[in-house]
Amino acid sequence: MAKPHRNLTRAYAQDLRLFGTPWAKVGLATMILVVVLLPTVLHDDFWLSILVYVGITAVGAIGLNLLTGYCGQISLGHAFFIGAGAYCTAIVGGDLGLPLPLWLLAAAAVGAALGGLIGPFALRLRGNYLAIVTLGLIFVGEHLWRNLKGVTGGNSGTSVAAPPAVGPVDFSRLEIAGEVYSRNQGYFWLVWGLVALIALLAKNLVRTRPGRALQAVRDRDQAAEVIGVRAGRYKIGAFMVSSAIAAVAGALFGSYQQFVSPDEWNLLLSIQYIAIVIVGGLGTIFGSILGAVFVGALPALIDRYSADIPGVRTSVGGEGFISVFALNQAIFGVLIVLFLVLEPRGLAGIWLRVKTYFKAWPFSY
Amino acid sequence: MPHNRLALAAGFAALVLAATACGGAGDNGGGSGGGNAGTPGNTAGFDGTTIKLGVLSPLSGPVAVIGLPLTAGNKVWFDHLNSTGGVAGKYKVELVQEDTQYKPDVTVQQYNKVKSNVVAFTQILGTPSTLAVLPQLKTDKVLAAPASLDALWVREENLLPIGGPYQVQAINAIDYYLTEGGGTKDSKICTMSQDDVYGEAGLAGVAEAAKVNGFTVANQQKFKAGTENYAGQIQALAGAGCQMVFLTATPSDAGKIFGTAAQGRFAPKWYAQSPSYAGALSKSAVAPYMQANVLIVSEGTEWGDTAVAGMKDMVDRATKFAPSQQPDYYFAFGYNQARAMTAVLEKAVAKGNLSRDGILAASKELGTVTFDGLTGDYQYGSVDDRNPPRTSTLFAIDPAKPFGLKTVKYNFTSDAAKAYEFKKAG
Repeated sequence: MAKPHRNLTRAYAQDLRLFGTPWAKVGLATMILVVVLLPTVLHDDFWLSILVYVGITAVGAIGLNLLTGYCGQISLGHAFFIGAGAYCTAIVGGDLGLPLPLWLLAAAAVGAALGGLIGPFALRLRGNYLAIVTLGLIFVGEHLWRNLKGVTGGNSGTSVAAPPAVGPVDFSRLEIAGEVYSRNQGYFWLVWGLVALIALLAKNLVRTRPGRALQAVRDRDQAAEVIGVRAGRYKIGAFMVSSAIAAVAGALFGSYQQFVSPDEWNLLLSIQYIAIVIVGGLGTIFGSILGAVFVGALPALIDRYSADIPGVRTSVGGEGFISVFALNQAIFGVLIVLFLVLEPRGLAGIWLRVKTYFKAWPFSY
Repeated sequence: MPHNRLALAAGFAALVLAATACGGAGDNGGGSGGGNAGTPGNTAGFDGTTIKLGVLSPLSGPVAVIGLPLTAGNKVWFDHLNSTGGVAGKYKVELVQEDTQYKPDVTVQQYNKVKSNVVAFTQILGTPSTLAVLPQLKTDKVLAAPASLDALWVREENLLPIGGPYQVQAINAIDYYLTEGGGTKDSKICTMSQDDVYGEAGLAGVAEAAKVNGFTVANQQKFKAGTENYAGQIQALAGAGCQMVFLTATPSDAGKIFGTAAQGRFAPKWYAQSPSYAGALSKSAVAPYMQANVLIVSEGTEWGDTAVAGMKDMVDRATKFAPSQQPDYYFAFGYNQARAMTAVLEKAVAKGNLSRDGILAASKELGTVTFDGLTGDYQYGSVDDRNPPRTSTLFAIDPAKPFGLKTVKYNFTSDAAKAYEFKKAG
């Protein structure tokens, strides 16, 4: 008796598998291997620090994608929760000097609590109205950060001395088998390890019952209510999980940069996150990571190689008609427009299409 | 099956990575190949002939109006220095410029990008950006010259500030108002400041002046940088009957504030900190109002004033190396920064050590550095003994002058400013 082809799904459970094919497992193992080995090859502080920021952004983007991509709740307040996480870390990790897992969890708890406060607004508001309410959050937040001097250091900002250490393992100066690894190398492993962990958590969340409920709420919240999904509960829940993940991203950001100021948690940051989940692909976990890599690394690439692009001015009094920054802004804007028009499912959509092409090969559909 | 090929390729890539893995990058500092006095050994940013210095400045975005002339000032001084042979007459200086967009996280990234290719940073612009890289400056033992006048910098050994801090400007301005500007202790003195670190520095100066001179500030207004509407604050100041308002702002906001005040027929004596002014304001619609009511407290002298030796030299060099440069005070600031950094480099070369430790040690051994009247002399040395200039210059607006400023009182100080104590940050 021949076995059916592995691409044939005969039960719902098979559709829910994390790894549909053996190759998916190989791909994952490869990715893990690359993350583990990359810092040992790439010693350049500039690229490592770009990749650390990209990883931190990926964590935040997974959070926003759960809320916006899976549950359909638009939020412009993401920067507020990221800021809250960073300040929480400054206190728990810096002033109290608690170890890494504790300050990460404390940030998550604070984020979840704040998300739970905001969540109920989502029960009565949808779409644009919700966007405006969460927009208000940014401005309320900015006022708080500037005036709660005891917590945030006011306008001067505050240093974040949270040690990235658990017991004897100190990520800012790892010693493995007699080799000493730099702070950027250690942070790379820490941040990307957390990206993997949070991606797994999010993936498991969305392929189970609550995940299906979230997607039902996204598609038609009233219809979801009719078939027994408690939309209100799930909306608030989505806000809480999303803000908790955002706060973890903020915690990592603060401890990596060692200094944060109220000028950083502004509307621009929130919009950047929305751009990331759109470019990456709404409603996909992998897309959040792809989007972060793309949006985070592209400006750095342009910046690094701008000297070789004709017509770009790299220094004061230099030749050229467009500055690096202006070029970056223009490319960023054009990309978002192009993605929305040509590839609404984002980078993840491209990836899926490539995959199905090979799956269905030699047939085109 | 092509699918396998993809995975094979990925697996191969991972194998290549594994094969070339070569471990840690910890403890790579800017080590120094031993040098002798006068001929330092090669080190990070120094290859035996050229010294590289970093510049982290907003070369784009809204703050580029300050970053661009400031960086041009850095460059003109070093162009001039190179034309005379360079540091100690033999080492040319090269600038490595990076755009920070005035964002702290971008500044940190750019710092990481260039830190291993430079011996020091001759400019980091912006208080938030400077504070963001300060922890790393400390761990990497790098010296940097901040392009802002915060009092915070005076006691930081990794920073090389120049000029009299904002607090000194505020104290001197109020002292002038009380002695020669027609004010008394009973005048209604008010403040208008932007709601950030820079605004707080101005307020700290005013508070100190109030304590010393025994008056109370009648009304304090704050605004958010980049606001469109200042009517509320102006009404409050007018309602409180303010006769003198001390303003801490940046040029675009200051222009709108003066405009709102002019429309509301509110004409106190305005004293504004140096960053509140830009040359364009003297050519704008608010120029007549500013001519009548505004004084700018800053340092140095009018652009092109030949009576001050430093100014004459600077204008000559600017016309030689940057012929299209407009008269600009930020240019002078950058030029002065470069002079202070040059003094450090000369010292480090004389000691034969351009490594990071050598540069820091040299900065502690600098005595007083003079800027030929462009800004007050700065007494460097170990951080606890550093003494910034306590002098200020008051300018009035005069569209006929280059840069639109004419001197009202040159290089004066007050007892309160002399006695002001600078404490360590945090």
